[in-house]
This record gives sequence, structure tokens and C-alpha cells, in this order.
Amino acid sequence: MNFGPLVFLAAFFAVAGSWCGFVLAPQLQVGHLQQDKVVGTGNPYPLARPGLAQQGLQVYRANGCASCHSQQIRQTGTVCDVLLTDAGTNHAALIAGLLQAKPSLTESDAKALVAKLPQPIVQGQTKEQADAAAKVLNAAGGKALVWIAPVGPDIARGWGQRRTVAEDFLYDYPVMPGSQRVGPDLANVGMRLPDANWHLLHLYAPQHAAKGSTMPPYRYLFDKRKIDAVASPDALVMPTDLMPPPGYEIVPKGEAKALVAYLLSLRADAPLFVSPFTAATPAPESTNAPASTATTNAPATNPK
Amino acid sequence: MNPQTPQSIAVSAELPEPRVGRRAVPVWIYIMLFLLLYWGMVYFDERGGWFNQQVYAPYRSIEQVNFYQPPSGGPDLTRGKAVYENICGLCHNNDGSGKPGQAPPLAGSDWAQGNANRMMRIPLAGLTGAVKVKDQEWNLAMPAMGAALSDEDLAAVLTYIRSSWGNKASEITPDQVKAVRTQVGNRTQPWTVEELNAIQ
Repeated sequence: MNFGPLVFLAAFFAVAGSWCGFVLAPQLQVGHLQQDKVVGTGNPYPLARPGLAQQGLQVYRANGCASCHSQQIRQTGTVCDVLLTDAGTNHAALIAGLLQAKPSLTESDAKALVAKLPQPIVQGQTKEQADAAAKVLNAAGGKALVWIAPVGPDIARGWGQRRTVAEDFLYDYPVMPGSQRVGPDLANVGMRLPDANWHLLHLYAPQHAAKGSTMPPYRYLFDKRKIDAVASPDALVMPTDLMPPPGYEIVPKGEAKALVAYLLSLRADAPLFVSPFTAATPAPESTNAPASTATTNAPATNPK
Repeated sequence: MNPQTPQSIAVSAELPEPRVGRRAVPVWIYIMLFLLLYWGMVYFDERGGWFNQQVYAPYRSIEQVNFYQPPSGGPDLTRGKAVYENICGLCHNNDGSGKPGQAPPLAGSDWAQGNANRMMRIPLAGLTGAVKVKDQEWNLAMPAMGAALSDEDLAAVLTYIRSSWGNKASEITPDQVKAVRTQVGNRTQPWTVEELNAIQ
């Protein structure tokens, strides 16, 4: 018996099936992705990056930043907190409601809670549990808000508020999601480190800006210039031990400025339908707050 | 000569050519296949999201994504804030403190926190002439800044004004705005304080 045609057909359909699943279907689904709307405000998201930041993307690509930095926040789950924002008028009923919503609470604790609003009542629950607790509190005359917070190791490191979705890269060409994490994830670096001078200093002398960093310095993106009559307004503000000899200054080249503009434009802080979370308008102590930065090698706060 | 020479006998004694035949497939392969199929179905159920492009991990289905949307009930202060900073904040200041010679303050103002029916009319047609805000006389003209806004946006921004910067007043719903908008009709003449005070 000759099985040649059968073997050929089987191989053909195996390859064609995988091609349809991994190439054609994703292209049909997200190949023509449009701007999304921010949940709540209805503003369009994302906006195209400013021109300088678009040039910065090419600098990011040319310097191979994506070989050590990813731009993908992972999310392993979503938890809900219940936030009491208003006590209403009937305090006795509200305290009874609080004790029902959170049985571990004692009555004196509940009274102390009500005195200082807004306060998180229950944290880290599923949506069903949080909805039930909020319903009890609302029925008791208070105003309870269900706070939706994505969780995951990346979010705990303070790298972002939600997972990265396809929309975040809508106007980027080429897309630079990266795959290795020799350095920290940069998906939201513009949100985490909003200071342009810090970024310039970090490119010039990484170990100075972030202790223990393994990043190589990118000094060829800077010029060491003799100060003519007046110092350049772009000259790097530096700590004394890095300063060039007197009469000289370190000035970022166009590439460095473009790269920093691109880094500052990296921020995915808009709640989208595909990745919902409660935007931080009322800001109480909540699990949504960026956690400590012990695990990042870049400081989360501006060290200046 | 007899064709059956010893040489030809030796040839026919060779093993026959191997041929493809039929044999029953072992049972363990079927069991393996079914286990693999079962694992595939479980995996798909957990991560497939029914091939919906809007379902990303950790969500399992579009229903679950819908379920986890932030609650839309109650006043939408995020939207109100956005509208305020776009339109009202230019003159009334982003912190509601007003600007001398341009607009009176909204923070702590009785006009902002008082009768909602009067307050809703001000952005719909404007306000002109003398008005007393926080014990201070103002004599300016406000154009009909809110006439072009949708009911939802106007309700959101008025609610934001009434509940921000220490203001504490009731929420204004889009339905209320709609009702007042019909009452105001296509009036283009700005209100005066006397006209507004006549409204209950």
C-alpha cells in the first residue's frame, strides 16, 4: 500500500492548523486593533507617543535595551477590597452591619473605624464576597465602595497597576516587549520614575543612580564639552564625584534626550475594559498602593 | 534442462518482502489519547477564554471580565473631574478657588452647594450681573459653558463640584439635568441672580 499522499496530507494539515492558530487568528483578532476607551472617563487610550519619544523608541531598539528589559507586567489574579467612604446617619445600624460584614471585628474596633473614614473594611476578597459585604454596609446606610485591585508578583514589586495588554503597544513600531529580565521591567517606568534628569544620570552612570545595578553605562550618548561663555541649559546635574574637570560639562546628545522622552512616555495607568481596576481617585491605605521596592534594583521613588 | 536448478532453489528460500498489514491498535494508545484530550480540554477551559480577544489571563471568560468591571453606580467623580479640568477649571481654578476678575470660587460657595435646580441652570445658559459669593460681590458674565455638554457629562461635573474641595451637597443625576434642560429650552440669555432666586 502506498501511504505517501496520506502522510503528506497529515503533515500539511498539521502545519496549516498551527499556522491558522498561531499566526492567522491573532492577526485577525488584534491586527486591526483600535484605540480603546478608558473606563470611567471615556478618554481614548492609548494616545500616540510624542515625536521625540517615537525617535526614542528607535534608540531603545538600536541600543538593545529590549535584550535586558521587558515591558510586560504579568497578573496572576484580581482581588477586591471594600472601602467604607461615608458612615451615613444611623451609626448603630452601620456598626451592626460592620460586625456582620467582618465578624473578626470587635464593637470598639468598629466604632474606631467609623470615626476615621474612608477606611478599608475587608481586603483581598473575591468579587462575590466583596459585593456581599458592600451590600450589607450599603443597606445599613453607609456608602461602601468595592475596590478592584490586580495582584501578582510584578504588581507587588510596584512595576505597574495592571497587566500589560495589546493596546499598550498600539502605536509602537516595532513592538519592544522584551523577553529577558536582566534589569527591571520598564512597562511603567515613566510612572515610577518621572524625573528626566534622573534617567539621564542613570544612563550616564547607572551604579550611581541605582545602587547595585548591573547596567552598563551609555556614555557615548553624552558629550563632554568645554563651557564657552555660559553653561548649556541641558548640562547634566551631577553629584560631585562624577563631575567633569572644572570648565567642562556633560551634555546629553539628541539620542539620550529621545530615549529619556520614550522612557517617560512608558506608562500604562489607564483602567481598560480588558484589564479592569479601580483608578486611585480616593486614596486610602489600600492593597492597591505600590508595595515596597525591596525586590527592584531601581528605586521606586526619586532619589534626588 | 530442469529449470529447478539448485541456484533458483536458494533464491526462493529467501524471506519474502515485508508487506504492510493490519493489526489492532494497542489499548494503551487509546487510553493515552483520551487522557491527552481531557488534559487539552481542561487547559482550554482554564486559559482559552473561548478565543475572545478581550479575555486576558487571569480572567477565564468575557463574563468574568464584565463581572470585574469597577462599579458604575453612584456618582462618577473621575469623569466629573476630567470635564471640570477641561472646561470649568480654566476660570474657576482646578482647586475650585476661583480667579480674581475671572470667576468666583466654587469651593465653599453657597451657590455650588445650595439648591440644585438653581445650580444646574447656571452652566446651561450662563450668569450675568452682580452675585454675592462667600461674602464677596462679583460682577462678571459667565457664558453658557455647559450647554454643549451631554446630560451625563454635565451631571458628572456638577456632582464633582458639589462633592469636592470640602463641598458637601447632594448628587445630581443625568435625569435631573435632562429635566432642567427641557425647562430652560433654547434660552440663550444669561440668568440674573434675581431670576435664579425665583426658582425653587
